[in-house]
Amino acid sequence: MPEVNSVSDKKPLGNLLSLAARLLKRDWHGGELRLLSLALVMAVTSVTGIALFTDRLERALLLESANMLAADRIVSGRGVLPAEVLEEGKARGLRTAETLSFTSMAFSESGNLLVAAKAVTDNYPLRGDVIIADAPFIRGTPIPSGPPPGEVWLESRALPALGIEVGDTVSVGEAELNVSKIIVTEPDRTGGGLVDNAGPRLMLHMDDVETTNVVQLGSRISYRYLFAHDDLELLDEFEGWFRAQEEWRGRYYIRDIRDESEEVSEALERAESFLLLGSLFAVLLAGVAIALTAKRYSERHYDYVAILKTLGCTSAQISLIYFAIQSMLGVIAVLVGCVLGYLVHQGVFLLLQSVLIFTLPPAGFQPYVIGSLTAFVCLFAFALPPLLALRETPPLRVLRKDITQQKISANVPYLFGILGTVFLIYWYSEDLFLSSVLISAVAVIALFLSIVSYLFLRSSGSAGMKAGSAWLLAMTAARRRRKQNVLQVMVFSVTIMSLLILTLVRTDLIEEWQAQLPENTPNHFMMNITQGQIEGIQNFFADNGVESNPFYSLTSARVTRINGDLPNPREDDEDSLGGGTLTENARRDGAELNELGGLNVSPQSDAPPVLSGREASTGGRRVRGQLSRRQVTWAEELPDDNLVTAGTWWGMEPLPGYVSIEEEYADWLDLELGDRIEFEVNRQIVAAEVSSFRSVRWDNMQPNFFVIFSPGTIDHLGATFLSTALMEREQKILLNDLIRLFPTVVIIEIDALIEQIQTIIAQVTSAIELISILVLICGALVLLSCVNASLDERFRENAILRTLGAGKKLILTSLLIEFASIGIVAGLIATIGAEVTLYYLQEQVFQQEFSPHYWVWAAGPLLGMLIIGGLGINSTRRVVHTSPLAVLRSAI
Amino acid sequence: MIETRNLVKAVNTSEGRLIILNGVSLLIESGEAVAIVGASGSGKSTLLGLMAGLDGVTSGDVLLDGHNLTQMDEEQRAILRGQLVGFVFQSFQLLPSLTALENVMLPIELKGDPEPNKKANQLLERVGLEERWHHYPNQLSGGEQQRVAIARAFATEARILFADEPTGNLDTATGAKVVDLLFDLNQEYSTTLVLVSHDERLAGRCGRIVKLVAGEIMSDERNVEVVSA
Repeated sequence: MPEVNSVSDKKPLGNLLSLAARLLKRDWHGGELRLLSLALVMAVTSVTGIALFTDRLERALLLESANMLAADRIVSGRGVLPAEVLEEGKARGLRTAETLSFTSMAFSESGNLLVAAKAVTDNYPLRGDVIIADAPFIRGTPIPSGPPPGEVWLESRALPALGIEVGDTVSVGEAELNVSKIIVTEPDRTGGGLVDNAGPRLMLHMDDVETTNVVQLGSRISYRYLFAHDDLELLDEFEGWFRAQEEWRGRYYIRDIRDESEEVSEALERAESFLLLGSLFAVLLAGVAIALTAKRYSERHYDYVAILKTLGCTSAQISLIYFAIQSMLGVIAVLVGCVLGYLVHQGVFLLLQSVLIFTLPPAGFQPYVIGSLTAFVCLFAFALPPLLALRETPPLRVLRKDITQQKISANVPYLFGILGTVFLIYWYSEDLFLSSVLISAVAVIALFLSIVSYLFLRSSGSAGMKAGSAWLLAMTAARRRRKQNVLQVMVFSVTIMSLLILTLVRTDLIEEWQAQLPENTPNHFMMNITQGQIEGIQNFFADNGVESNPFYSLTSARVTRINGDLPNPREDDEDSLGGGTLTENARRDGAELNELGGLNVSPQSDAPPVLSGREASTGGRRVRGQLSRRQVTWAEELPDDNLVTAGTWWGMEPLPGYVSIEEEYADWLDLELGDRIEFEVNRQIVAAEVSSFRSVRWDNMQPNFFVIFSPGTIDHLGATFLSTALMEREQKILLNDLIRLFPTVVIIEIDALIEQIQTIIAQVTSAIELISILVLICGALVLLSCVNASLDERFRENAILRTLGAGKKLILTSLLIEFASIGIVAGLIATIGAEVTLYYLQEQVFQQEFSPHYWVWAAGPLLGMLIIGGLGINSTRRVVHTSPLAVLRSAI
Repeated sequence: MIETRNLVKAVNTSEGRLIILNGVSLLIESGEAVAIVGASGSGKSTLLGLMAGLDGVTSGDVLLDGHNLTQMDEEQRAILRGQLVGFVFQSFQLLPSLTALENVMLPIELKGDPEPNKKANQLLERVGLEERWHHYPNQLSGGEQQRVAIARAFATEARILFADEPTGNLDTATGAKVVDLLFDLNQEYSTTLVLVSHDERLAGRCGRIVKLVAGEIMSDERNVEVVSA
């Protein structure tokens, strides 16, 4: 008798792979793999599309942002910058340039004007272009350099004010310079401070600065070194080197666009978070669709495997065949998905062409790698486990249909799916916190969902017994498939929940952005306004059709005592209360100027410039060991975008001696309502009682204050006023008249900045819309897969019912009731889940305030009913239209 | 060739332990055609499954061409099936996504034999389906599907053929033609045939009839008519 080990396996690998290819081809043609492939392709398409989109958009926005700085990094500081910074940058291979900004008077034969002068070296700008024109008030052309020595470029509105034309000369200090071009704009104009915004721009070459003789010890100069390189790592290393120089800390600053503009940076970060969330949901949903379709596919392959095993296939060979099928499918899905992803992102950029104001750099290779890896992670986590479990199918199934896998736990595939999901979420986000929030939310909700849906389905049976025949059929069917339906309700709920979350986050984000910079956002700040000038300015605006805004008194104050004791603030830096708004430079430069001495710009220049945002009001002189001075105001009414969070705002007849403090500042100082604070205001001590704390919207580009006194508290101590105005492009010429009429007023122009931010927000909004659509498609795919998963069983059941005499109408009605009921429950549970998750996401990830979305409570269940009911009926219509005999025959 | 020794198969059900086969001992010589008959639930399909190595025994031994299946795991039994055994089932068990030709080629390819296409074509011609080679199972009638299944069963020149109710899904006329084909090929290839059926006329085509009742061999008789023929 031959030994057992003489039984050897000689099946050639090539034959098995050829069989796998044939099965794949036939299953594809037969529609078996259609949904699975579609889910896989959707996963790759959405991830590749989103990755390509974000990659290119981020590159473009970074490039555009760098243009706002005219460099990738800038170093600025109080006084002349150390030459070794420039040397180090050059030694590291960075491109460098220098700028020097100062305010000065420009003289012509017929007039004079305060100008914001900027001297630049030959390499300026390192990023972006200077836009120049041959005549004032016309469109310009870009040029990647500043003026040559001996020439100046002037902003359009300076020419009528000086009574000159292009080709004439102007005097700056002791230098006579030829006005050769009109400067329309320069890349880093928006990021400048007071010295860059105190008047129309006059740009000259760095070599001419010495001839002007205006830069002397004690002059107010803003020095900047500019650095650029395409290699981000080199830039980061240089920044690291700079930050390591302890002796420069607090004197010199290195910044990039994210430090420079809180508004842009926040918009970008939130958009990135949203895109990340969107792609996570897309992959999660596609993963669920893959898992469901793979499970169905594997169930339909039990018979295949049993037959193959009777013909001599071993379990290892079965695994090899299905692994090969999956891998081939994966490769095809990757190829198709990458192409579709590319087309999707191209399509979107085509749509966005009108709002894209810059050229898009080509995408890197990484998005394709991300998309491909996603496909295989999805396959191995979601699809492969149920397919590999096929190896356990007993060959006896050829004789007995009721036998399925016995050895492998039915839950193992889910375990792989969960692990795969966790891996993908962490891999994409690289953010442990976001990953934890999402994973815990999904886990808690899944548990909650399973309990609720189980209870519902249990009760549905008894309810069904009391109802009519269609209801009876529907409810008993729901109860009979309780376990399967719990899973179905969970999948539906998670899908609807994901879509609701994404829609709501998207809506809230866009609404908040629109609210942040509405159409009528003021784009000019006026400071150093005296009490006597207010009426004149109001009249000037009224005469010229410019809407006037409130005037805020402005003076600087410092907290000296709290309840009689010296202030004892928290350990963290006072500056940490401020972020990095685009206007920070203005504040910082203004503060620097004030430290260096008197300012020619304004007779009341003691007050540092205040623009908007939190830094606007943090500007003040800092004395070692004391708290910084803050820009403070008094007001009768609570300013817009301020919200009293504790205490009360003074009433209609306010009493002097009260103060309202911004809540973060109050927290930093450990203040409580009723505390008595002493302030030093203009060398006098003023005491006031804390009557309220306020939250302030710092990013609204409006004047904002940490400290607001009640009327009558500091009014007598003398102050200048601050106001804002919205001036359209064609109204900018009015600035000349305004400055002529009110020469002491300093005007800061932030119109270009606001336009730039609005453009970026518009682009990001479009991106968000696209991602939402992609996720929607993935969601629909999951719903379809889920309905299809129960199709085989429904075919058999309904064939039996029809054989027993049930009509098509009865069966269709019962199916509709069953699916609609599941849809309502899923919609309701999804709404609860969405609101809970949104609370965490908005508070923790998007830094938004959460408010419940009442309409969703009605829309969720209704949508669930319509979508699930519709999809269910659409997919199962075949059930009643297929001949019962055909169904029963195929089931034999 | 095939030997079962005191074969027992029992399963656990909600109502307790159920014995399906109880001490079945049987010796089937090489080239024999044996029919296993009995009423529904008598254990005939279970016996076929155990003899073909499709399932594990509870106790006892099954020897197939000298190999003791009870000492083999499922993987080894699968390899042995691929080398020795062919099957014909009541529900045909063709792979629906493969054509008639591919279904016949399948065991040849799995075994690694050369020229699967040529062999499969010859067999299809032999069963009268040379014109239908490119058709999928759902495009063939029941009788045609069973003929494809028979061609597949002989594709690897298996030494033992197990047939489980091969005419169960066919009408009488078609069933008769299929049975003729099955027995003709069995004779041509000198295969050992184990046929399970409750159809006495079909069983009557075999040289030996084993009758099972409640999991035990009630009778084991030579079919004189066939033997003498």
